[in-house]
Amino acid sequence: MKQIALAALAAFIAIALLALAAGAFGHSPSAVLAILFEGSVGSSFAVRETIIKSIPLLLTGLCVVIAFRAGVWNIGAEGQFIVGGLAAMLAARYGVAASFLAAAIAGALWASIASLMRLWRGAPEVLTTILLNFIAIHLLGWCVNGPLREASGRYPQTDLAMATLPRLGGVHFGSVLALIAAIVSWWMLYRTTEGLRLRATGFNPAAAKFAGINVAAQIVRAMAYSGALAGLAGGIELLGVTHRLFERFASGYGYAGIAVALLAQLHPIAAIAAALFFGALSSGAGELQRSANISATIATFGQAVVLLAVVAFTSRWRKRDA
Amino acid sequence: MLDALLQAIPLAVVASVPLLLAVQGELVVQRSGIINLGLEGMLLAGAFGAALGGVAGGIAGAVIVALIFGWLVIVLGADQIVTGTAINLLVLGITGFAWRELSVAQPPRLASDLITPFAWIIVPLILAVVLWNTTLGLRLRATGENAEAVRAAGVSTALHRWIALAIEAVLAGLGGAHLALVLSSGFAENMTAGRGYIALAVVIFGRWNVRGALLGSAIFGLAVAFQYALQAANKGVPYHLLLAAPYVVTLLLLFGVAGKVRAPEGLGR
Repeated sequence: MKQIALAALAAFIAIALLALAAGAFGHSPSAVLAILFEGSVGSSFAVRETIIKSIPLLLTGLCVVIAFRAGVWNIGAEGQFIVGGLAAMLAARYGVAASFLAAAIAGALWASIASLMRLWRGAPEVLTTILLNFIAIHLLGWCVNGPLREASGRYPQTDLAMATLPRLGGVHFGSVLALIAAIVSWWMLYRTTEGLRLRATGFNPAAAKFAGINVAAQIVRAMAYSGALAGLAGGIELLGVTHRLFERFASGYGYAGIAVALLAQLHPIAAIAAALFFGALSSGAGELQRSANISATIATFGQAVVLLAVVAFTSRWRKRDA
Repeated sequence: MLDALLQAIPLAVVASVPLLLAVQGELVVQRSGIINLGLEGMLLAGAFGAALGGVAGGIAGAVIVALIFGWLVIVLGADQIVTGTAINLLVLGITGFAWRELSVAQPPRLASDLITPFAWIIVPLILAVVLWNTTLGLRLRATGENAEAVRAAGVSTALHRWIALAIEAVLAGLGGAHLALVLSSGFAENMTAGRGYIALAVVIFGRWNVRGALLGSAIFGLAVAFQYALQAANKGVPYHLLLAAPYVVTLLLLFGVAGKVRAPEGLGR
């Protein structure tokens, strides 16, 4: 109960500060709030937009939930999302299923570079995952300007992917996949021994080791699950929404996943609600940019405020309880 | 070709100044036991502040970021990695939004670049003296190694972490100002482009000491400058793969040295 109150309060503070920030630059805060509302849940079109935006957010959010639960700092969802999209593009000719499988494997492998570097060389995964994000961004840039550039060669983008996700009531089928991923993640974390070992590793590695858990192998596996989810997010985004790759393909979904996970207090089912909230924020911000000429980066500001509010409240409580 | 590479060296000295300042600032903070992942945001706030109010504005921008980070991490004991990530998103979002709203004219470039010699000569000398030859420096480093012992001796660890953060804010603010007023002509959204993250890796490469910080920043600066030289020479090397080179180099540096180094004992706790 306390946790839901905390999340609601954090979300409220973010919206309030967002309106205040717009107000500080001479926009009317109430008009800004009205546009945010209108652009996110005000019409059936807006609701579909919100759901479509929240699909990759849910998957990258789950990616972060799994990693953080195991005590690994995977800040690399952005890069894993990109290599997932690249792999899905290459495998699209073999159909949707093969494409998603390739995306998940690519994301898992990309994340494993970081976990193996931590294991073998003690390199902190916080840094290696961030560096791998930049490498993935430039790898994508090279692909869409070079080997994967569209046949006409006009723009730095690929041709249309050779597979497309079916649609379901105006929203692509990825929505169902993302919901399944959330339920499977919950089941894995709370109903299997693998999940118990994973959480024990994150909760107290020394105790987990003492209890006979192979902590190193557990971390590598957790990182692979985590990367697979972000990779899958990239594949779904490609076949469901963009249908092509271009340089700004990931556009911050990876980093936003951290905000989703923290707002959900690292719970896979709560992540569904958190992803919908940030999806709404993002589609609302898009409408702000179109109709009020306010930079859509204001959505990033909102994500940051939520994160900071959650962090501040949880540490205050920890301090008071201690 | 060799000519082009040799010409790249003076360019590297100037172009690596923001990174070098960020590295030295983070070195001080990590010696006091904190990882500031929000360094990227601090640099970006410095660049934004400098575009509005010159060098002093740059420092002010970074100081505001340091106050938010310090309040959460030092006062509330919040998680450092999540807080740092949030800070980066915060600065990225707010500067991108505000720059578009303000639509002010880009500032003039600095007439003379005093920041470069300051970053390469004066700051390292000051840090070497203050960190390793004063009581303040000893206490600051002890805070990073064994905070309990420092508190038992009746010394405030919070105070020394605030001092370290203040030093980092000044250096990162200067670094951001150099980026906006010397290397570029003003502010652009996300103009730091990951320098803050690279600085974190260079601190590890430099094994948390000043000489290593200088060496790491120099290697890095040269790698970037050579990349530009290659690009200009246009020998058919794909441009986007070259852009990835600095990050690959950093990854390899980490792979090469990480296992052999010893971090401050209490880092991140």
